[in-house]
Amino acid sequence: MRLILTLLCILITILAESQIDYNKLIIGRNNGIHTFHDGQQTRTFGFTETLSAAVKVPGPTISCNAGDSVKIDFWNMSQGAPHTIHLHGLDVDQQNDGVGMLSFEVMHDEHGYYYFKAPHPGTYLYHCHVGSTIHLQAGMYGLVIVRPTDGNQNLNWDGGETFNKEFSLLASEMDTVWHNDTILDHEHDMTMPLYVPEVYNPQYFLINGLSGTQLTDPVNYLFALKNDKIYMRLANIGYYGTKFIFPTGLNARTVASDGRPLPFEVLSDTVEVLPGERYETFLQLGTEQFYPIIVEHFNLNNQIIESSQEVIIQTSSLNLTSIENNFYIFPNPSKGMFNIFNANEDALKLYTADGVFMKFISDDYIDLTSYPCGVYIISDGIQSIKIVKD
Amino acid sequence: MFAKHKNIAILLFFVLITGKLLSNQISFRLEIKNHSILFNDGHSVDAKLFSGISNNINCSELLIWQSTDTLNLKVVNLDIASHGFMSNNLFDLGIIAPGDSASITVSDFQPGIYRYFDATQSPYNEYLGLSGIIHIKNPQENTPYFYWDLREYQEEWNDQLNLGVFPNLLNYSPKYFTINGNSEPDINNDPIARVTGNVGQELKIVIVNNGLSIHSMHFHGYHAVLVNSSKNSSHVGRSKDTFPLYPSEYIVLSLTPDKPGEYPVHDHNLVAVTGGGIYHAGMFTTLLISP
Repeated sequence: MRLILTLLCILITILAESQIDYNKLIIGRNNGIHTFHDGQQTRTFGFTETLSAAVKVPGPTISCNAGDSVKIDFWNMSQGAPHTIHLHGLDVDQQNDGVGMLSFEVMHDEHGYYYFKAPHPGTYLYHCHVGSTIHLQAGMYGLVIVRPTDGNQNLNWDGGETFNKEFSLLASEMDTVWHNDTILDHEHDMTMPLYVPEVYNPQYFLINGLSGTQLTDPVNYLFALKNDKIYMRLANIGYYGTKFIFPTGLNARTVASDGRPLPFEVLSDTVEVLPGERYETFLQLGTEQFYPIIVEHFNLNNQIIESSQEVIIQTSSLNLTSIENNFYIFPNPSKGMFNIFNANEDALKLYTADGVFMKFISDDYIDLTSYPCGVYIISDGIQSIKIVKD
Repeated sequence: MFAKHKNIAILLFFVLITGKLLSNQISFRLEIKNHSILFNDGHSVDAKLFSGISNNINCSELLIWQSTDTLNLKVVNLDIASHGFMSNNLFDLGIIAPGDSASITVSDFQPGIYRYFDATQSPYNEYLGLSGIIHIKNPQENTPYFYWDLREYQEEWNDQLNLGVFPNLLNYSPKYFTINGNSEPDINNDPIARVTGNVGQELKIVIVNNGLSIHSMHFHGYHAVLVNSSKNSSHVGRSKDTFPLYPSEYIVLSLTPDKPGEYPVHDHNLVAVTGGGIYHAGMFTTLLISP
């Protein structure tokens, strides 16, 4: 009898697992170091996909398709407080909502599963919901993108509107006082008060974890082609309000919020995103080479704008519509920094001019500033492009 | 011909008289009072409120009547300073001197949500607590309603205001965040605030920002539909999980739960889920949905 029951349990588990469309491993960590544009550093918490990966803020983006059955295997390897994953906006059931006192917390060196069915295509968030005022400030957040049922990466939702390229801009802030060890390494006892600093005065305002001159560094430009139709995913996980101000003439058109189409599109160059909100906005690029997006962060208590930064969209001077390239590189020639647009997911390879393999390239740029001037070759195995460092 | 018109006139007269007789008389007496609000960390602020007959002593009275009612409203000023009482598009009782009172009788209302407030020394008297919610109900509607009066406090501000000093609005940095005058965990003990219902049942939630900060209320578990907005009427119909509220703004949400469970709702400016530097002592409540 016991054998039959055991086999039955195994069978049920196998059946349940066979219905999972998308598995994701997420690891909670507390040993991140975040470097700001002025060189200052602060300790962070965060999420990674592997134990060896550096903790970055924000965490990795989780992408799945509408209708997918998703399982997140969440490990807490933080040496500290318990953590959870709250699937913000995905309307999951109570057990999978990531609020410890109403479901479960994952203690250090333990793991737990979050199951959900991705409901609607759109932009969502995930974050820790334990001591959340501290743990979000510490960096435990990231984006969830739900694509249409067929996984189309150039369509906003089933039967929706197509685009050539999408970008996500996730706003947040950091007050480094909140990142002191005495705050981050707090005791955790749900029956006892958890103390947080009474004053929140962020020194750094972040877009996708970058601040100030990091955002205007060409390495961090958003690259597109001239005349591209862009889909912007705008989100705010900070404790300030954010205004995204697009250049006039791009016909900014906001069509969705919080994972649902808007009943009426909004034509406005300014999109205000308050904490926890998400918006999705179309932009129609023209033939300019640079499109600066102004991002203002304002204090929710007095509405004073405390930071104004720029995110730059750079368009390629190449007319790729007549070139069937899988990837392209610009600027070329350059002083050493080359941006790469790679349509494939496979890593590219860098060679010397005479064909000696140097290294793989998995980022969307390559920095050759420390290499000698001259000619190099980048190849995807099918096509090779000569680049010149001058 | 004349006799026929006369009959119609008599009939209309009786209909009007009958309607007036059937319309309910509803009376409210509000007292402008000083009151100390005690927070969970032991600190307190000296606030003011329009006090009525409800048990909530931390928040100005929620006024509910039906659009067919005749309202008798009396406001008595028990404070040592003059105060006003008004509601945009409804009535204005003018300035009420200390120890004095003002009354009004009104009928023929449009159903809807309204704010009432003391417009003197704006926005400081509203900050201190002299503002509240009016719901004029449509007699045909049976949907359960819940009401969240959002406001926040900064101890030093209350101290200064009670000394007649007006703090600089640019230096506002509140430490206590309340719904109907309560912070977590007490919000869930307030039946006006604590949302309870069943799967498939339409529930309506009125959220009024009577504070000075912007709040961004996030719902776990469900999207709700915006059915009324005082600031952005063009946003009506949006289905969202997070709703921003600017000062003095109110919204009405329709929520029809699709599953049972207990799900948090809180300000996603997560500083506002703290109180006096203690986590989970601010604007945090839960929806409790039965199968």
